[in-house]
Amino acid sequence: MSKFQPIEFYKNKKNEYSLLPFRFEPLSEVNYAVTNLVGEHLIIPRETLEDFVKHKLDSSSPHYINLRAKHFLVDDKTQIAKELLSIKLKTKYRVLSEFTGLHIFVVSLRCEHSCPYCQVSRQSDDKIKFDMSTDIADKSIDLALRSPSKNIKIEFQGGEPLLNFPLIKYIVNAAKSKQKEKNLSFVIATNLALITEEILLFCKQHGILISTSLDGPKDIHNLNRPRPGGNSYEKAVEGIQMVRAHLGIDAVSALMTTTKNSLGRVKEIIDEYLKFSFTGIFLRPLSPYGFALKTKTYSAYDANKWHDFYLEGLEYIIDLNKTGVKFREYYTSTILTKIFTSQEPGYVDLMSPSGIGIGAIVYNYDGLVYASDESRMLAEMGDTSFELGNVLTNSYEDIFLNPKLLDPIEESFAFSVPMCNDCAFETYCGADPVFHHAIYKDFVGRKPESEFCNRNMKIFKYLIERMDSEPYIKRLFMSWAQSNA
Amino acid sequence: MEANLIFDANIYSIDAIKKACYRNINRFAVNISKEEDTINCNITFKNTVTESQIKIYLDDFMKEVLDQDLRESIKKETEGVRNLILAHTFSKTGLIKDE
Amino acid sequence: MLKLHGSAISHDATLMQRGLFIVTKKSELPRTIKSKYALLLDNYLNYEEGYGAYISFSEVKISNIKNYFYLPKEMDYLGEGDIIRIEPSGRINSLFRINSSHNTILLTEQCNHYCLMCSQPPKNIDDSWLMDDAMALLDLIPRETRNIGFSGGEPTLYGDHFIDLINKTKLILPNTTVDVLSNGRAFSDSIFTSKFAAINHFDCVLGIPIYSDDPARHDYVVQSKGAFDETILGILNLKKYQQKVEIRIVIHKQTIDRLVQTCEFIASNLLFVDHVALMGLEMMGFTRANLDQLWIDPFEYKDILSEAVDVLTCYGINTSVYNHQLCVINDDVLPNYKKSISDWKNEYVDQCDSCLKKSECGGFFSSSKMYRYSDHIKAII
Ligand code: SF4
Ligand code: SF4
Repeated sequence: MSKFQPIEFYKNKKNEYSLLPFRFEPLSEVNYAVTNLVGEHLIIPRETLEDFVKHKLDSSSPHYINLRAKHFLVDDKTQIAKELLSIKLKTKYRVLSEFTGLHIFVVSLRCEHSCPYCQVSRQSDDKIKFDMSTDIADKSIDLALRSPSKNIKIEFQGGEPLLNFPLIKYIVNAAKSKQKEKNLSFVIATNLALITEEILLFCKQHGILISTSLDGPKDIHNLNRPRPGGNSYEKAVEGIQMVRAHLGIDAVSALMTTTKNSLGRVKEIIDEYLKFSFTGIFLRPLSPYGFALKTKTYSAYDANKWHDFYLEGLEYIIDLNKTGVKFREYYTSTILTKIFTSQEPGYVDLMSPSGIGIGAIVYNYDGLVYASDESRMLAEMGDTSFELGNVLTNSYEDIFLNPKLLDPIEESFAFSVPMCNDCAFETYCGADPVFHHAIYKDFVGRKPESEFCNRNMKIFKYLIERMDSEPYIKRLFMSWAQSNA
Repeated sequence: MEANLIFDANIYSIDAIKKACYRNINRFAVNISKEEDTINCNITFKNTVTESQIKIYLDDFMKEVLDQDLRESIKKETEGVRNLILAHTFSKTGLIKDE
Repeated sequence: MLKLHGSAISHDATLMQRGLFIVTKKSELPRTIKSKYALLLDNYLNYEEGYGAYISFSEVKISNIKNYFYLPKEMDYLGEGDIIRIEPSGRINSLFRINSSHNTILLTEQCNHYCLMCSQPPKNIDDSWLMDDAMALLDLIPRETRNIGFSGGEPTLYGDHFIDLINKTKLILPNTTVDVLSNGRAFSDSIFTSKFAAINHFDCVLGIPIYSDDPARHDYVVQSKGAFDETILGILNLKKYQQKVEIRIVIHKQTIDRLVQTCEFIASNLLFVDHVALMGLEMMGFTRANLDQLWIDPFEYKDILSEAVDVLTCYGINTSVYNHQLCVINDDVLPNYKKSISDWKNEYVDQCDSCLKKSECGGFFSSSKMYRYSDHIKAII
């Protein structure tokens, strides 16, 4: 048919193209991961990469077509990439102007548990000293409601927040009566040992959700979380069931703390989560804060061991999905959301600019304000770098324009940090100035030596290679990238 | 343990070499010096590092220099468009032509 | 298959120009509106003077009826409320069928694309009278009509007249949803898009094709350089003005290889679209001429189709699969499977007789049935 032109007619004639901004990182001897301005990725051979950069890549090669379609280059065929990239960047940065969605209220520092890795809590009956006052609560609520964010989530933490349940009630009621155009939601982070019918009735009335701890099988959990009676696990399990009976199956989520006791037992831990019908697990790196750093629990098991733990868990979860059991790993999901979408999952550790103060803020029992949950733990250990002020004496502006908040955010912005600035995974990664300050005493750290960088870099590479190896996994990962799929 | 690597200054920039060194900061220390046409890297390893490791480290380092060189080319070519896109991202209007 | 146009076997036309008429059997309509109607004669029994035209499917031998058209039997589906166009030459077109849920009005045969699989091959002739008729048709369409579609050719080639048409549709049929098939390129002009948006229609969906994430391939399929960029820009503009957009992908040999990537492209760049339609090939127009380049058995691509649907639905994009037969798709596509759009075009083949799923299956376009369909049609039992 002569009236139709062949496809060659529509290909660009001259083999001319210009590069769009992109970064790369080796995955193996042969293959490199390339990512563009918004984090879209491809895997290409080193050779192709070199040809590409040197303008020698043939426009009819499949790599060329992929690179063009994913916005790594523009040629006389298409210029739309710039517009699309800009729109996606806009979406990504929009969340920043909507800052501080999560407000953590430490209503009591007291706790009946004595977990070795926890630094902040106190075994004490001294309510005056360790409980938040209504005065401080009022001031904190006012601050929280001033955030630009439309959706305000108030999370009650401790210590054990249920030890000061009257104040929780007070805050919920006060926040609700003070708020005008905000969507308020509430979460209580509790070990559930003290949960009662009365508390749950209140939760039901106000749509309050519960977040609890479940470290795995009974022995691990109880070893991690000593309490009088040695029955933390039993209490948690009982509590979970009780919460669900009152508030519904999804009203309670569980968080796992990884300790030395967990290593090598990731499958058992996951099985425990399955047993209680949770739909996912967060295989958390051990936090270096609090007791952990002080007692060197942290150095006792190195990053590699955690990496193995995580990978074994992840692979196990992938296999579970293959057999039809829907289950997710949340750390992976957070990263995948950044890999596959323009959304910002808002997980403080993996945000850049750093999520401190932006993603979350902490109002401590004593009125001090911290830039993140980790920041207050650091403060408990004597490093007050991230203490932003006091609700009783400081204004909103004092707190959010405090150089103690702005300096670390600016300095640690991965976009401009050595190595991060040319790292292919910068858009997936975070800045975490608190972690770096805790360990390396500056907000940035030297990334090649940074445990944070090593850990995440390995995971990014693994995830990208893994999904490239098997279409099923790419599909699965894509579904994990969505918030509520 | 020490090693010496010499790079052609007409081919590699000091910046690329510096960046490659930085990325290997956890493995060895480098003293960089420049002569007419060469960039010399005097590399010092910790005593605990073995011969075979050194070989791997140096190998990786040279690859990293090549990569940094590529990164430099990319940056040079794309800096303008990157700034343009960022500027448009943070401005009110889009890049759409007839606005 | 219904015959949408035909010529009167005999007629006595005193019409000076073509006209649109509502078919009715009712005599004794008020004098003031009679002229809008074509009276369907029941022999001579319901004859009354003053109607715009008279039609019948068996000959009525009366000599003094003006504008009487004796129509071929194939058109006897025409009934009360349908709207037809009659030309002085005796040519009759069915324009609007009251019992069809999807009436599509052809606005032009001109197009700035020349798609390999075009079912309505473009003609470069002045056919703006089609637009005039469409405008006139709007006055006759009942207000209860749920939906109408406009197609081409490329309707937006009319520029401001196209805007006028949609505007009139909104004013005169305030409860009718509208579908427009367009290649979207006109909307790369922000001014045009802003005018369109200013109509503020409550539910007007633009169905716009994207055939590949590879611009060269898209341009090839539509046979027009620069089409890809303009279409994408058009979609972005429409969304900037909060207009509804449906992306339409026809699946064939030239689009199947990058179908999954194309869906990924949509998910990552055009996540905000309202609907994506994945459509089987219709054996009309150019498709037959280009069959070698286009035909791929749906059975062979069913896994790719599953993957494509999976990508889109995973991102929460409303997705439908059209023009496919149930026996050649995987079960995971079922939630997105739609029985074909047109309720009167689809047909079945012999194998279907014993099929348990026949009532849920969209079957075939009559063109496919006649010309080419999957070698793997097999009754589901
Ligand atoms: S911390 Fe490491 S992995 Fe993360 S962006 Fe920086 S260099 Fe890349
Ligand atoms: S056999 Fe016929 S009716 Fe049955 S699924 Fe196939 S095409 Fe449809």
